[in-house]
Amino acid sequence: MMESVLSEDLYRNPHRLSHCGKTISFNCKRAPGTNDNEGSELIFCSLSFEREGNTFLKAADGAAVISRKRLAHVDIVKCKSVTDAQKRATAPCVLVIKKSEKRSSFQYSLLTLSSSNRLEPCVEFKLPYQMKGAVYILQGPTVLWRHEGGVLYTSPQAEGVRQVPIHFSHCVVGELPLHKGQVFVLGLQKLPEESTSQTLGYFVEDGQVFDGSVILPHLYISITQCILVVAADRVDGVLKCDVVAATSNRLLVYFENGVVKDVCQLPFEQPENIQVVNTGRYGSLFAVSFCEGHVCTIWKETFQIAALWSSVTSIHVDDFLGCGTDQMLLVFKDRIIALEEFLITDLCGISFSHGQDTDAPKTSPPPSENYLLTLKALESRLQSGLTVLQELQREVTVKESVLRQSVKALTDVVSEREPVLTQHEQEGLIALWDSDDESKNEALDDKIHDIPAVSSKPRIDKLWHRTTEGRMVVGVILTTDRSAPVTNVSLSILTDAGQCSRPAVIQTQSQVFWLPAACSSPSSSSSSSFSASTFPEPPAKKSKQHNAISTNDLNACRVAVTAVTKLTPLLNSGRVKCHVMLHYIQTPDAFSFMSNQRPVVLHCGQVALDIQNNLHTELLKTPQLIADEVREDFLSLLAVLDHWVFHIDSPEYSLGDINGWIQKRVGCKKIEVSPQYLLLNSSGPSALMLLNWHQITPFQGELHVHSSQLQMFQFLDSLLAYLPESCSIQPLKGAGGKGASKMFALALEKELVSLREYASLLLCEEDEEKLKEKCFGYKETPDAGSVEGLQKCRAMCQRDLERSNMKLSPLVDVGQYRRLIQSMSKIQLNGDLAALLDIQFSPLMCCSGFHG
Amino acid sequence: MYQPPSLLEKWSQENNELVNKCKQQEAGGGAVSQDHRQSSLRWCSSEFHKLLRKIQGIPPHVDHSQLELAVVYNTCVCFTAQSQFSEAELLLKEATERVLQVTGNNADTSDPLVLWRAGLKSAGNTALHPHVLYLLCLQWALWLAKCQLENIGELQEQMSSLCEIVCDGVGDGSPSEAKGRLSKSPLLVMEPKRLTELLQICTSIAQGAEKLNEGRSSEALSDLQAASALPATRALVAYTHLLSGSCLAHMNRPQMALQCYKKALETDSRCVCALYRSMLIYRQLGNTQAEIQALRLLHSTLMLPPATEPVLGGIQPLSPSLLLSSQSLSRLLSVPSALSVLYSLALKCVLSGRVTEGVEHYLDLLAALHSEDQHAVDAEVSVLPRMPELYLEAGTALLFTRRPADCMAFCNEVISTTLELVPEKVVLEEPEEGIGGDARGLSVEGEDKVAMLLWAAAAYLVQGHCHAHLKDWKQAVTHYTRCINLLVKVHLKNRDFQPQIPAADVNVKHGKDLCTLQRMKGLSLAWRGISFTQMDQLREALRDLQLSLQAFPDYTGAGLWCGEVLWRLGRKHEAAACWEKTWSLTTQTSVERYLILW
Repeated sequence: MMESVLSEDLYRNPHRLSHCGKTISFNCKRAPGTNDNEGSELIFCSLSFEREGNTFLKAADGAAVISRKRLAHVDIVKCKSVTDAQKRATAPCVLVIKKSEKRSSFQYSLLTLSSSNRLEPCVEFKLPYQMKGAVYILQGPTVLWRHEGGVLYTSPQAEGVRQVPIHFSHCVVGELPLHKGQVFVLGLQKLPEESTSQTLGYFVEDGQVFDGSVILPHLYISITQCILVVAADRVDGVLKCDVVAATSNRLLVYFENGVVKDVCQLPFEQPENIQVVNTGRYGSLFAVSFCEGHVCTIWKETFQIAALWSSVTSIHVDDFLGCGTDQMLLVFKDRIIALEEFLITDLCGISFSHGQDTDAPKTSPPPSENYLLTLKALESRLQSGLTVLQELQREVTVKESVLRQSVKALTDVVSEREPVLTQHEQEGLIALWDSDDESKNEALDDKIHDIPAVSSKPRIDKLWHRTTEGRMVVGVILTTDRSAPVTNVSLSILTDAGQCSRPAVIQTQSQVFWLPAACSSPSSSSSSSFSASTFPEPPAKKSKQHNAISTNDLNACRVAVTAVTKLTPLLNSGRVKCHVMLHYIQTPDAFSFMSNQRPVVLHCGQVALDIQNNLHTELLKTPQLIADEVREDFLSLLAVLDHWVFHIDSPEYSLGDINGWIQKRVGCKKIEVSPQYLLLNSSGPSALMLLNWHQITPFQGELHVHSSQLQMFQFLDSLLAYLPESCSIQPLKGAGGKGASKMFALALEKELVSLREYASLLLCEEDEEKLKEKCFGYKETPDAGSVEGLQKCRAMCQRDLERSNMKLSPLVDVGQYRRLIQSMSKIQLNGDLAALLDIQFSPLMCCSGFHG
Repeated sequence: MYQPPSLLEKWSQENNELVNKCKQQEAGGGAVSQDHRQSSLRWCSSEFHKLLRKIQGIPPHVDHSQLELAVVYNTCVCFTAQSQFSEAELLLKEATERVLQVTGNNADTSDPLVLWRAGLKSAGNTALHPHVLYLLCLQWALWLAKCQLENIGELQEQMSSLCEIVCDGVGDGSPSEAKGRLSKSPLLVMEPKRLTELLQICTSIAQGAEKLNEGRSSEALSDLQAASALPATRALVAYTHLLSGSCLAHMNRPQMALQCYKKALETDSRCVCALYRSMLIYRQLGNTQAEIQALRLLHSTLMLPPATEPVLGGIQPLSPSLLLSSQSLSRLLSVPSALSVLYSLALKCVLSGRVTEGVEHYLDLLAALHSEDQHAVDAEVSVLPRMPELYLEAGTALLFTRRPADCMAFCNEVISTTLELVPEKVVLEEPEEGIGGDARGLSVEGEDKVAMLLWAAAAYLVQGHCHAHLKDWKQAVTHYTRCINLLVKVHLKNRDFQPQIPAADVNVKHGKDLCTLQRMKGLSLAWRGISFTQMDQLREALRDLQLSLQAFPDYTGAGLWCGEVLWRLGRKHEAAACWEKTWSLTTQTSVERYLILW
């Protein structure tokens, strides 16, 4: 009983290999016999697959005595079918170990199974230790193992045990499918002078050292568990090879000449071996076997997992069916003389299983890529069909609604019914229920209209000057009467007459800035506008259109006028004093471009030229200060610096907090005297920059830049990186563009309103006269009872009738009509002028836009 | 000797090529259909994932980390765009762990928040820091997409510093930026700045919706107002205005809410929801004219072919709709279908006296229901009343506009479809006051039968009205009689005799049925009585009118006519008493629509 159990155990899980379509199992066994010299015996059994019976049948078996010693313990280390270099044929090899009683030395012998089914010793060697870890039986046959950091090998050619002369910290062993120089060892060698390590390869046959990174990149060496060289070629002495490596972090990597080509996530840990299965026209598979009996196959072409198995005792690749292509033999339960449970498959149609009634191969979605592609194609066809259908449906609904409306219109016409058009349909608009009352503005409008024109001189509040880089800025702050606005304001500088008889006018450039009223602190002002003329609101202007930056906000009647001139002519003339003259036109009517009013000249005072009076010292030092000095500096700076206005429009993507972004830039400070301006002083005074961002809507805004051109471009460049991609930046010529169009709109409005007013005035006057006449004529209502009363009533009725007839085609006084035409033509002239200005500005906007 | 290119170089190149391909596909995406975009996205994500597996196939290495994180970012963007959130989240987790490994830290935790804090801390001021932040952006996006707002709240501090670094760092001309632009940093599929901007506004919107849902309107309002200034697409800015409006509406400020809705529409004309919400406000305010106008606009807007999303300069792979998937938000953004809007419009027109208009809308609605393909209608029908009810309402509206012939045709239609299905006998249980919940005697079919009966009866009643309108009293009497005959088929039963199946909602419905039944009885009897009066059959008239008053005492018309008949019969005292009693009644009951007219 004991005996049988023991022998059963012996026969379980033998060492198995495949060779020439057969599978051969090896096992060790105590040689039978009752005499003293009982020894150990190596038995083998060769099985071949019988298709009909779906089983493996014994083809051959045999035994060889390994040891005659009684106490010697014999074990099989490994078996593998490898090429014999001398015979130039593959032969099954088995490595056995004989342990002596004392365990001080270990004798290894490699046996090969000859074609006549005899076990022949091939290599024998003794070691003072037992091999641990991975042992390789490689082509040659070569036995290779690691011991204490060294790599050792032996083969019939090597004559004894040899050691690879390089010390590797990690190493990978593989074979090249080449005729010569097949077995190699790759490893990391620590270079003593450097902290990095380098990949070295070593050919076992000839001892040649080569750069290992042509096979595996050096980062992979330390994590590679096993390797399979799929193809190798030597072109002009350069090795080219395709390698598959399984790494410790569950990855199968395909390398082509040392470059990662593809990766595949493996489902199991600890890969042990990679084999290639050539399934013929279906392509090749990689079969990766893992510790604990897992097997995973991967298609070579797609590098996708083909199938998975678990609790596999061993896996062999060979042509077991004899059909010309490889199959895998997966052994699940093994005995030396029979396979109890196995599966032969190539995943391409061949599948033979035994002892697995329920276990159909657990294939994970096999060639998933193919299914996916088919599905994709079908899906996209379905989708496109659906979209076409939807489009057609949409078209049909649109057509139908058009038809329905047409039919409705037609029936309306036929039945002579008034077609019912809703308000929004008439306007072609989508209207929200906008209920804003406009009545409350009217009182205000009237008031503005009735203000009488009183002329008064503007008052000069302050005169100052600054010099900078060969230029002088002269500035004046004036207060004008709100009721008498000034237009066409400019400054001119006259040299002091001195001994000369006539003072000379010096060429200057003037600019006008609107300041907040003198009493109020400089909060929001209208100084973002630079137009040199003012436009009061026309009467019909709705209060809705009021906004803080309106150019026409005449509540602030403080005006700063600056003039810039070159210093040299002043210095040349030797004069240090000059007169500053203010030119302006005072008019109650903003639209009198062509009015005959003559410009008024006002002497503002004298300035004594002081070259030391340098610009923007105070401003740069303390922009947060509110002082006249600083304000003057600021105004001078505005006058001196070049000025650009950009309209930034982002139709689909809101702009966000541009002001915040500007403020976060290096050296950016707020100017307290005019808080909407930001001073950017990142790199010295020569690169000063004044910025004013005015957001119109969340999707558009205007950027005023006062700086040198280079600075402006640099700023725009960095702004573009911040702005959304779909946004466009268009330069406006000064602020005039917008002003002009506004002006034009106002002029047109004015024209319309005055036409209405004049016409109604003309008719009303006439009416009133008649009314007076009537009132004087008939003070009391006649008594309808008497005959005269009745007569009077009749006459009155007649008169009324006439009068109403007259109203339909009224007669007007020629003189009055002429006056009307005259004033109207004047107003129209203004409108034409505004239109002209607008046209001059607008093409510039269109042409010179550049997109971000 | 042949020297293979370094892994880093090769992989950077691969990444950049992939990104360029992705961007090309997206840039050309204007004309390309949605499914093409999807498939190209799928391709991109699988390619990126493959590249990532290659890169992560080796142990983490400082030199490779920047590239690795960039590829993780790209892969995750593609995954997220395809709603593969768990895959993306796993990648992020792995990436953070690898960052920790590279920097020599180890965090044995599965809590993502702890992991992120550790990751950010360990990346510190190294070159990796921005890349870790980009990944945090994606984590943020994932949390947002999965509506895990509390996680975002937890990392608020990190998020705000992230926004500062990612957004404000752009274009500030600082030397680090200039260096960054020149150096060969790996390309990214989506600019982190844009992603952050998108996340900021989407988070604000989602949080706003959540707060609004929890009733913290004022808190939500201030957040949303702030969010409306953030850089974003028109649609998203419109959403902030829309939600602000909803908050205001919630806070009982309808006019301000209307302003917000208006702003939303001004910002994005495709924001139909704003129109719908405005309509609801007008309805709440009782501004019927405005409500009708809004309904009309809403309907015509919904009938427009769906506007295609405008093509931005390079479509971003992550769409806002992906990030705004919370329940409370979609509830706020939902808009009823065109047909149900049309129905509301028709009903509102009729109820507010614009009957001619209402009739047109009813006819349009019925035409649409008949013409549209069955599939679309089936989806619609659930929100609309049943067909016979629509017919009855339309018919009544037609009668209002003095088109009795058309009205009769409609009623005939209803009768022909329902009459055959009317059972011989219907038992309707009388719900008893105070005891609710279990008054339920009829199966669903039975309930349907009651509805059938009521529809048929109503159709007869309306036909009777038509004849009465044409002064064809004899015909009127015939139709009223048919109506009464149908109505008496319903037997009222006390609930004690019924099997008890508790169903609270059905009880309400039954009560309604019963009310309708009684009312219809009262009306039909009263009108038969009136018709008899017109034909001088005063006795019959008096009987009917008195029965009517019994069935439905609230109907003043019956009382008045009863008095009239009594007067004519010479019973003047009774007549006076009857009138007096009638006048003392207050009539505030809202009658079923097709019965209200008389």
